[in-house]
This record gives sequence, C-alpha cells and structure tokens, in this order.
Amino acid sequence: MARDLAIDLGTANTLVYMKGKGIVLNEPSVIALNRQTGEVLATGREAWQMIGRTPGYIVAVRPLRGGAITDFEITERMIRLLLQRVGVSRFTRPKVVICVPSAITEVERRAVTDAARRAGAADAQLIEQPMAAAIGADLPIDEPVGNMVIDIGGGTSETAVISLGGIVALEAVRVGSFDIDAAIQAYVRREHGIAIGERTAEEVKVAIGSASPTEDESQAEVRGRDLMTGLPKTVVLTPEEVRFAIDDVVSSITASVVRCLAKAPPELAQDFLSRGMYLVGGGGLLRGLAQRIEKETNVPVRMSNMPLEAVVMGAGHCIEHYDALKGMFMGARR
Amino acid sequence: MTVLFISLVVLAAVGFYWYGRRRHHQEPGVASFQRHIDALSSERRRESFERVRPPMHDDDYDDETGS
Ligand SMILES: Nc1ncnc2c1ncn2[C@@H]1O[C@H](COP(=O)(O)OP(=O)(O)OP(=O)(O)O)[C@@H](O)[C@H]1O
Ligand SMILES: [Mg+2]
Repeated sequence: MARDLAIDLGTANTLVYMKGKGIVLNEPSVIALNRQTGEVLATGREAWQMIGRTPGYIVAVRPLRGGAITDFEITERMIRLLLQRVGVSRFTRPKVVICVPSAITEVERRAVTDAARRAGAADAQLIEQPMAAAIGADLPIDEPVGNMVIDIGGGTSETAVISLGGIVALEAVRVGSFDIDAAIQAYVRREHGIAIGERTAEEVKVAIGSASPTEDESQAEVRGRDLMTGLPKTVVLTPEEVRFAIDDVVSSITASVVRCLAKAPPELAQDFLSRGMYLVGGGGLLRGLAQRIEKETNVPVRMSNMPLEAVVMGAGHCIEHYDALKGMFMGARR
Repeated sequence: MTVLFISLVVLAAVGFYWYGRRRHHQEPGVASFQRHIDALSSERRRESFERVRPPMHDDDYDDETGS
C-alpha cells in the first residue's frame, strides 16, 4: 500500500509530504531535457545546476514559472517523475493533494489532476496555496477570527483572509521573487552594461537585496559578460541601487496585499490590527519586506516559522485528515 | 368513512416520518462541519506536525487518520 502524498508544486521549489512520515522530498522545480529527443536528462537540484550553463542540445527549464502551467506535457512528466521517485507505481495508488496557485484556470486545474491520476494517483485533489500555508503556519483558522496570510513564492504572491476554515478574501498576482531576479538582471544590463545569469541575480538578491533600508547593509561584487567587449567583467552593486532596481516589483506585491485588506469584511479587518498578518514563502525572506508591508498597511507583519515548508505541511495535514477536510479542496466548495 | 379515516392517519404518519427524516438529514451538515473545524484545530495540527518532526522516535506508527 502506498502512503498518501501532499505535494507543493511551487514555481521555484517542489516539496513532497508523505502521510505519517513528513517531508520526503524538497528540491528546485527544474527539469532538464534533451532538446532534440525530448528525453528527460535530470530533475531537481541536478537540473537546477544546469540553468544557464547547458550546451545547445540541453534545455533546463522551470515549467511552472510565472505561476501558470505553460507547458502541460512537461508538467505532466514532472509530476510523473516526482511520484515515481517517492515510490508510486501502477500497483500502489495513493491519494494525492496538490497545492496550486489560487489563480489557476479550470484548464490548468484539470491538467494537474489528470497528470497526477495518469501518473498513478488513485485520487488527486487540489488546495489553494494560501489556505495550505495558513494551516501549516498554525494560524487559528478554526476560529471565527480574521487570519491573514501572505505567501510570496518564486512566481506568485497570494494573500488570503481565512476564518472558520474557509477563504473570505483572496488576492493573487503572478508576480514573485523571480521577478525581483529579473529586475536585477535588467538593471545591471542597463546601468552597468553587463549581462548576468538568473542564478547570479538571485544570489545578489539573497546577499544584499532589500525592500526597505536595513541595518548592516553591504555591497556585492557581481561578475558577468560585458555587453560591449564580450569579455568577463566585475562590477560592484550597492544596496541602494538594488533597492531601486527592484522597487517596482516590490510595490506591486505590497499593492496586492493592500487590495486584499480592502476586500476583507470590517469585522475581520479589526482582528488584523491585533493579530497581525503572517508572511510565508521564500520571497517573504527578502530583507526589509515585512517592514515595508507594515509601513504601507499599518498592520503588524509576522514571519511564520518554517516559511518554506508551511504550504506542504498544511497540505500534509489535509492528507492526514483527508475525510474530515475534504471540504477544503478546490471544487468542493462553491 | 373508516377507510377515509385510516388513510388520513396513514398519510399523517407518512408526513411526520418524512418530516422527521428531513430534519434528520440536515444534521450531517452540522456533524461534518464540526468534524472539519475540529480537524483544523491547533491540537489536531500539532499532532500531525509533531508526529512527522525528524528527530522523533521511529515513525512506524501512523495510519490514524482521525476520520
Ligand atoms: N533569503 C532570501 N531572500 C530573498 N529571497 C529568497 C530568500 N530565500 C529564498 N528566496 C526566494 O524565494 C523564492 C522561492 O520561494 P518558495 O520556495 O516559497 O517559492 P515557490 O513556493 O516554489 O513558488 P510559488 O509559491 O510562487 O509557486 C525564490 O525565488 C528564492 O530566490
Ligand atoms: Mg509556494
């Protein structure tokens, strides 16, 4: 008998939770393919290391990038490989709960559940990321109080107000931490005349990126290719210029939080002032972001402990109590 | 006359039975909502999370869905 699974199919990272066991897989959502034959050459960390470093016949991609399922076939292969790796075969048919962006379309929804069923799942159900995040972050969503959770991932930023086990207000944008990387890349290209890869841009973001001024800021050396000469070149980036470079992206994320607050019923809105909002997701780890959101909303922001695992832990709890929590799955409510 | 009376009584009985059943039928809603909320309680969640925390004792006891 296979053990039931919960999967956080994130645009940046994929995590799998096995019933009774906990997290059994945690790796980048990347797949490397042979461009000519379409064969899968690597997945996860191995494929991630290939990004931007492949010869012409190999392509390493993030199939879910942007929070949309742009390539159904690759997504299906990824789900199939994922299930195989955690021991699902044609003879062991587990139930699977998959976390997806809440803005997912009906067609994408069907594509994901069909892919999971074809890959060996006996039953595949979907749950919205912010709902799973709230369960995993241990917010008291079983009570009639306003719980607000902000999940900032690689490709999506989703804010939800949850009370009595259901979503009251929701705001999702297909903007996330990858867009911050892209903004850094574009800035360095424009202002310093060098081209850098997406992994380098991500390193810059994690090392010195910030959404508002913080203490102990430092500069970073960045290596890339000079656009004029084509030769390798190093430039120094200051925290101020990185902040400037990413400001548009950060603003659109904070604007979506503000829109969600505006959608919440007044009775619940007053709860936020005392309880605060909870930040989860890797993108939420950007320095100064919590302070920036706090400043723009006047609502306290708290970091959840386990920001990268909250979503899969929440979905994992749903798989532990599958029958009782059936009503939480997408399509079960109206 | 008796026939009419008996049919009226039977009709009333059937009516009461049907009404009772309907009322009874609404209860599963209450029960399942309770179950749903209970499964989301902090204690239930802590049970799940503690059970799977890495440095715990052997993870061979499980399959207690609480459903
Ligand atoms: N310390 C950090 N500072 C800034 N950004 C970070 C930090 N750590 C991780 N990130 C970013 O967080 C993102 C990954 O977050 P996460 O794993 O929550 O995304 P995801 O769940 O895969 O995406 P989504 O929820 O959009 O599908 C990456 O873009 C990564 O660069
Ligand atoms: Mg996520």
